[in-house]
Amino acid sequence: MINLSKTDEQLWQDLISGDESAFSTLFERHHSLLVGYGISLISHRETVQDCVQDVFVDVWLYRQSLNPSVSAKAYLISSVRKRIARRHERDKIFRKTTQLDDSLEKIIEFSLDFTVEDRLIANEETLHKVRQLNQMLNALNARQREALYLRYHQGLSVDEIADILDINKQSVSNLLHRALRQLRRDWTGSTPLFLLVSYLTI
Amino acid sequence: MQQRDRYQSIEDFLADDSFKAWVLTGQDPDQWEAWTVEHPQRSAIVENARNLWLAMQVPDPKVTPEESVAALQSTWQKIVQAEDNVIAPTWRWWRSAAAVLLLGCGISLAWYIYRDIVVTPGTSYTELIENTSDPVLERTNDTDHPLLITLADGSSVLLQPDSKLSFPAKFEGRERKVYLSGEAFFEVSKNPNQPFLVYANELLTRVVGTSFRVKAFADQDDIEVVVRTGKVNVSSSSVAADSSEEELLLLPNQGVRFSRERLAFEKIDDLTQEKQISQKLSNIERLSFEFSDVPVAQIFKTIEQAYLVEIDFPEEKLKNCYLTTSLSDEPLPQKLKIICSSLGPDASYAIEGNKISVSAKGCD
Repeated sequence: MINLSKTDEQLWQDLISGDESAFSTLFERHHSLLVGYGISLISHRETVQDCVQDVFVDVWLYRQSLNPSVSAKAYLISSVRKRIARRHERDKIFRKTTQLDDSLEKIIEFSLDFTVEDRLIANEETLHKVRQLNQMLNALNARQREALYLRYHQGLSVDEIADILDINKQSVSNLLHRALRQLRRDWTGSTPLFLLVSYLTI
Repeated sequence: MQQRDRYQSIEDFLADDSFKAWVLTGQDPDQWEAWTVEHPQRSAIVENARNLWLAMQVPDPKVTPEESVAALQSTWQKIVQAEDNVIAPTWRWWRSAAAVLLLGCGISLAWYIYRDIVVTPGTSYTELIENTSDPVLERTNDTDHPLLITLADGSSVLLQPDSKLSFPAKFEGRERKVYLSGEAFFEVSKNPNQPFLVYANELLTRVVGTSFRVKAFADQDDIEVVVRTGKVNVSSSSVAADSSEEELLLLPNQGVRFSRERLAFEKIDDLTQEKQISQKLSNIERLSFEFSDVPVAQIFKTIEQAYLVEIDFPEEKLKNCYLTTSLSDEPLPQKLKIICSSLGPDASYAIEGNKISVSAKGCD
């Protein structure tokens, strides 16, 4: 299991040159997070599982045309999103007969709700604050939440997020900043945490 | 860690893995606690970043490592299928090219493909066994009927009379290797991560999960590999280690004959055209394992004929059991498992040599 200590970059390059075990290691390393991201876009778990597998099938079949210098994780996340969007589009066409569905979501939307890690909070006051913050976070629009998720949970760069969400870099920065600025506004409105204000002016 | 001294905003903290680990696990190898109290003006922003991060968790997708392994396996299966689709048209092109060539020469319409290959003549079973580092078990069939061998990975082998098979008690490492002298029909359990390799004199056959027959008697001039299901790679065993070019890909109902004297491959694209081979097909290659609403007793009878085994089962209890299933591409243990799972939760089977016993309570 020497692969376990290899970085994504090494594994990605080994995979491109045809190393089956590098492929398997990358799969096992990212499978869970890709499924997690997928079910935040559409709730049907089996469809997500299918799409994630199909992405990896294509990665292997077309490995020679992959760019060795991109981040494997960003590439996989982006491919899973595209694949799910395409599947959703196709299913929508097939479901046209049920008219009720037609008015519903036209495109896939990030629908994951952030949760509170309350096991780690000892005092009541902090818990109250964190819960309020959590409510504000979940009141942000889908794009803002998705940008926050990709930036801080998946550790992707602004450039990579721009590529995934198919918007320009400046728009991603705006999404992220506006999200936190909005938080700050709501936050300061409810609790006097004025110190935060000075730190959030960017 | 010095970069944190320059952190200006909550964003900087949220993007810091070490900070996140401290918040979520409480473990503090980088001494965030101490760093925070060092400068009191930091404590407010650290506190806010910490609270924000605690409020911004995402639910665990609950994917177990077993699920990931299973997903990886089915991904490899999809890849193998997709590769079949990609490769098959190439062969079609090859065939028409060969046809044009052969017609041009006015020789014959049969699809023979000759290939030169570098081989060490006289690679024998004994030499191969001597050179392997893996500990192997050996079974010899001295009887006049085929002998059923079940391998550790669930693959089944029907070893023909006057034949020998060497195999490890347990398959370890990246490949499953067995050594054959004589003739055998293999049904290999699917495992894309651990390809199955049959060494037979000069020939090496490599598969992922499929069924095929290898005939390699030490005292005969030709070695034959015939494919029933799946996809099989055949190469010369001496060059297999360092060359991927000298390979032949075989699809179902294709075969290859290797002339040990001329050291040349002869590909057989349509088995039904080859009287010599098709007449020699054993029961297992002739019988169909596609069952549609068939009494389970009949399915057991087919298995008895194919593998030359005896199956003991509660006939009276199972007389109303009808099954619809496809067992073509499965090794014997897998076939029995599929049948038992459709006979209800209490059904089970045991294999002992050529005798199989099935217990079941019947079906509703």
